[in-house]
Amino acid sequence: MLQQLFMQSLNGLGVAGILVIAAAGLAIIFGVAGVINMAHGQFIMVGAYVAAYVDSQGGSMFLAIPLAFIVVAILGLVVERGVIQWIYDRPLETLLATWGVGIIIEVIMKFIFGTLGQKVGWPDLLDGSIKIFARPPHFPYYRVFHVALAIAIMAVTFYIIYRTNFGLKVRAVRRNRSMAGCLGIDTAKIDMLIFMYGSGLAGIAGAVIAPIKAATIDMGFSYAVSSYMVIVLGGVGNLLGIPTGSFLIGEGETLLAFRYNTVIGQLLVFLAIVIAIRVFPRGIFGYQERR
Amino acid sequence: MAIKRRNFLRGSATAIGALTIGQAAPFYFARNIAKAQDGDTIKVGILHSLSGTIAIIETSLHNAELLAIEEINAAGGVNGKMIEPVIEDAQSLVQVFAEKAKKLLLNDKVTAVMGCYTSASRQSVLPVFEEYNGVLLYPTLYEAQECSKNVFYTGAVPNQQLDEFEPWIVANLGRKKCYMIGSNYIYPKETNREWKALLEISGAENMGEEYAPLGHTEFSTVLNNIANSGADYVFSTLVGDSIVAFYKQFKQSGFTAEDIPICTPITTEQETAAMGAENAVGHYTSFNYFQTVDSPENKSFVERYKAKYGANEVTNAVMEAAYFQTYFLAQGIAKSGTDADALIYEGLPGQEFNAPQGPVKIDEKNHHTHLWARIGKAREDGQFDIVWKSKERIRPDPWVDQLYPNKDCDFTNQSVLDRLKKPWSEEKNRSGTMDI
Repeated sequence: MLQQLFMQSLNGLGVAGILVIAAAGLAIIFGVAGVINMAHGQFIMVGAYVAAYVDSQGGSMFLAIPLAFIVVAILGLVVERGVIQWIYDRPLETLLATWGVGIIIEVIMKFIFGTLGQKVGWPDLLDGSIKIFARPPHFPYYRVFHVALAIAIMAVTFYIIYRTNFGLKVRAVRRNRSMAGCLGIDTAKIDMLIFMYGSGLAGIAGAVIAPIKAATIDMGFSYAVSSYMVIVLGGVGNLLGIPTGSFLIGEGETLLAFRYNTVIGQLLVFLAIVIAIRVFPRGIFGYQERR
Repeated sequence: MAIKRRNFLRGSATAIGALTIGQAAPFYFARNIAKAQDGDTIKVGILHSLSGTIAIIETSLHNAELLAIEEINAAGGVNGKMIEPVIEDAQSLVQVFAEKAKKLLLNDKVTAVMGCYTSASRQSVLPVFEEYNGVLLYPTLYEAQECSKNVFYTGAVPNQQLDEFEPWIVANLGRKKCYMIGSNYIYPKETNREWKALLEISGAENMGEEYAPLGHTEFSTVLNNIANSGADYVFSTLVGDSIVAFYKQFKQSGFTAEDIPICTPITTEQETAAMGAENAVGHYTSFNYFQTVDSPENKSFVERYKAKYGANEVTNAVMEAAYFQTYFLAQGIAKSGTDADALIYEGLPGQEFNAPQGPVKIDEKNHHTHLWARIGKAREDGQFDIVWKSKERIRPDPWVDQLYPNKDCDFTNQSVLDRLKKPWSEEKNRSGTMDI
């Protein structure tokens, strides 16, 4: 029993890792540019198909990660320049527009790859598991990898936002857009670069999530929903909101699923989030606007 | 954050415009086909989802039916007339299935419709077929407990996949401790009810039962529970994306098919290809048909399918049913003509065909189909080695005796026939089910 409980908390950590990876891109775009990207799930899906393509050509997932980042970042650039840049200050329309973009991406991907699920394999290095206890379930290497990657993504993002000149401008734009503009910061360019970076992260998410299932056209939806929940719970006022929200949801879901069952686990987590919003309307690390 | 009224209106108008165009296009297209070829043809509706979440599998059914129609027409058609498919896309939406069914029956006046995949879609079109007395041929394996006058069920019902499977596991794998995992909807729940009855008969143990939401792909908890329960095999009724995720995570967590095999009535060649065959090796599937069935009919079927749709395509059990039900329909029309009641009571019942899986037959009494049972063990190339095959085809039993000893379905029974002779407006129960 103790073994199971221990394994279960480790699993929760693994799930939290996936959530961080999936939510990071969405949270950064929302936090800085103020756009809720409804096509986030489809961006993840495109990343997964990049991994599937690399896999079918005999390449490794480690090659797929940077490639997915680049491809989806370029996709993000196209979407931002082509659609979003005209409607930044109109939240309702960005919702509708990105929703539509998501549908377009889905249809295009279906044309190219068909509707069958695409196989994505693990690199040999990550094939296997850590045998903490004598009998299965063991802790698969890919979970370790997901957690490590989640930490790496947060570390890189933290460095960019808090330790570079570019990050300083990003924070300035976030704090007070018009004032930053007056001081000569090209706010449109900041938005564009952040949109590209966030999109690229979604691509990475797709590339590393696909190997635990398969690349399918509608795979992004459930991760997009989880990502929205992470943001709602964690808040975007501070980068710490992403890992905090992910950790609470990941551990909550797995531990409750273990105690009751999967369906009830999800239900209770939803319920807890509803209550949490009542207490922290802007998320745990919500951004306090100056009045 | 202020939403300007004008902007909102403009946004909504655009959205509505886009929706209307999207809906109208396929409808217009389909109507044109129907008009162009009015005349000496027999119209047959084909109603599957060619877009949306279940399009993957339904497109393969659609393809198999069109292949069969093409072959029948090439051989001279039925009674000298060509079969003309009227194709509709149900978009994976339950309400669209019902709309399109109505359109096929009333506007196109088709002789019969082949279509649907999920139980939800079948149940949504059922009232339409019953009210307008249409004929539906339904190719999917399903949870049974239904017996409509207007539907012919050519896929397997649970007794044809399970009754022999459970005793086989006990006798040949020597395993009696079962953990059940399924997706959270009607088919897995009903299937597991029957499985539990079978476990009881053979003295095997039920070590646990769990359901994951549809589309769920995170199974670490379930795997933990399986280990915790002490089960020595898993009975899985997961569907869709969940299958791929479950098999992969099962292997990654250190479970092997030797220690704990997964036994399932669902996983086909389509899923083993998507997950990578190495994740499926050694696990068992019970089905009527596998691509590896060794018969001249099947070899030629696989060849023809690949020739038409591409060498990488795999065939699976549901599309095999879609394929042979088209022949059932053609033979039925040849026998009784195109009138619905004639088809239902004379044309289709008792119809036999030499299908890829072996000779199959529509049961005269309950309008389900006699099928073969097979157990396949997944191998390295994603195909299945058939490790067991039933000696004869198995009679379908929509109300299994273990759970429903007092129920049966019989369209040859006079009291049932008398009831069904009344028009729909007087008698809305169009089922052949009766108490015995």
